[in-house]
Amino acid sequence: MSITENDINQLATDYKDKSPQDILTLALETVDNIAISFSGAEDIVLVDMASKIKKDFQVFTLDTGRLHPETYRFMDQVREKYGIQIEAMCPNADQIEKFIKEKGYFSFYQDDHKECCSVRKIGPLRRKLETLDGWITGQRRDQSPGTRTNVPVVQVDAAFAGPNGQLTKFNPLANWSSEQVWAYIRANDVPFNSLHEQGFISIGCEPCTRPVLPNQHEREGRWWWEEATAKECGLHAETNKS
Amino acid sequence: MKITLVKKIKADGSPCQKCQDISDRLEASDQMKLIDQIIIADESDPASEGMLLASELSVDRAPFFVVEHDDGQKEVFTVYFKFVKQVLNQITSEEEELAEIMNDNPDLDYI
Repeated sequence: MSITENDINQLATDYKDKSPQDILTLALETVDNIAISFSGAEDIVLVDMASKIKKDFQVFTLDTGRLHPETYRFMDQVREKYGIQIEAMCPNADQIEKFIKEKGYFSFYQDDHKECCSVRKIGPLRRKLETLDGWITGQRRDQSPGTRTNVPVVQVDAAFAGPNGQLTKFNPLANWSSEQVWAYIRANDVPFNSLHEQGFISIGCEPCTRPVLPNQHEREGRWWWEEATAKECGLHAETNKS
Repeated sequence: MKITLVKKIKADGSPCQKCQDISDRLEASDQMKLIDQIIIADESDPASEGMLLASELSVDRAPFFVVEHDDGQKEVFTVYFKFVKQVLNQITSEEEELAEIMNDNPDLDYI
């Protein structure tokens, strides 16, 4: 079924206070060609919820080549438990060879993480999204106070496009806190990445992820050598500021 | 077809760096002459022309381009390389496109 931009905006309003399961059901039932983006971390709850909604659903992951061994083992564990395929999207070989030749393996500690992420993550993500009409993410508003405070439960993806031009992005966990995610994991006996037992909260590539101390925000476990900066490109009317 | 570029002035009165970068790119490629008008979205003035247009078109970032087609349809582009590729038929490199997506979408950090 095709879905218009107006439909999406209306759904964002209608579903803004619905449960993740309701939003996920909407996504899986409204968009035929849709897939869950799975990072190998807490977004496992989406896979678990989806498995209770329907049998056949697509899952893909961005295999940057720099993930922890624990994450790769967890991927296999998930594949086996849920009986699903997890399509691994890998960096373009020519681009990554050129990047390593020019910058080496750890340039992000001197520059910043964006160039490396562009090659290892955004390129493969765009390649996958070009084949889809919709995708489902584990993005939550509480993950990064600076950049995710306005994550809606469903939106027109402004950064990427599907084969027909439009791409719909569902964020079923947008309203959930980390505590709610973990309450779900425990209550439903959902498998989780063993790195969480070592103090990791947010899990990405091995060189760019570290455990955090009690009461540190999970953002402090990622790209900790970079200064958090204000989002440059947003449009924020001064009178709307709180 | 009419093309409008909306540039931002930040709430503290300083210019938006990306808006300047894009202006420089358009000038360097001699494509600025294809832009029919430039209007300003002043974050300190919600009634500024650019802020009103952004509100009308539900755009939450700047700079952005509005392409008004001959049939009256308006198309919004918030990604510069997508705009120059689709509207100005410029050949762009994948590296440039990916870098822009990464820079403009910090929420993708946790994907």
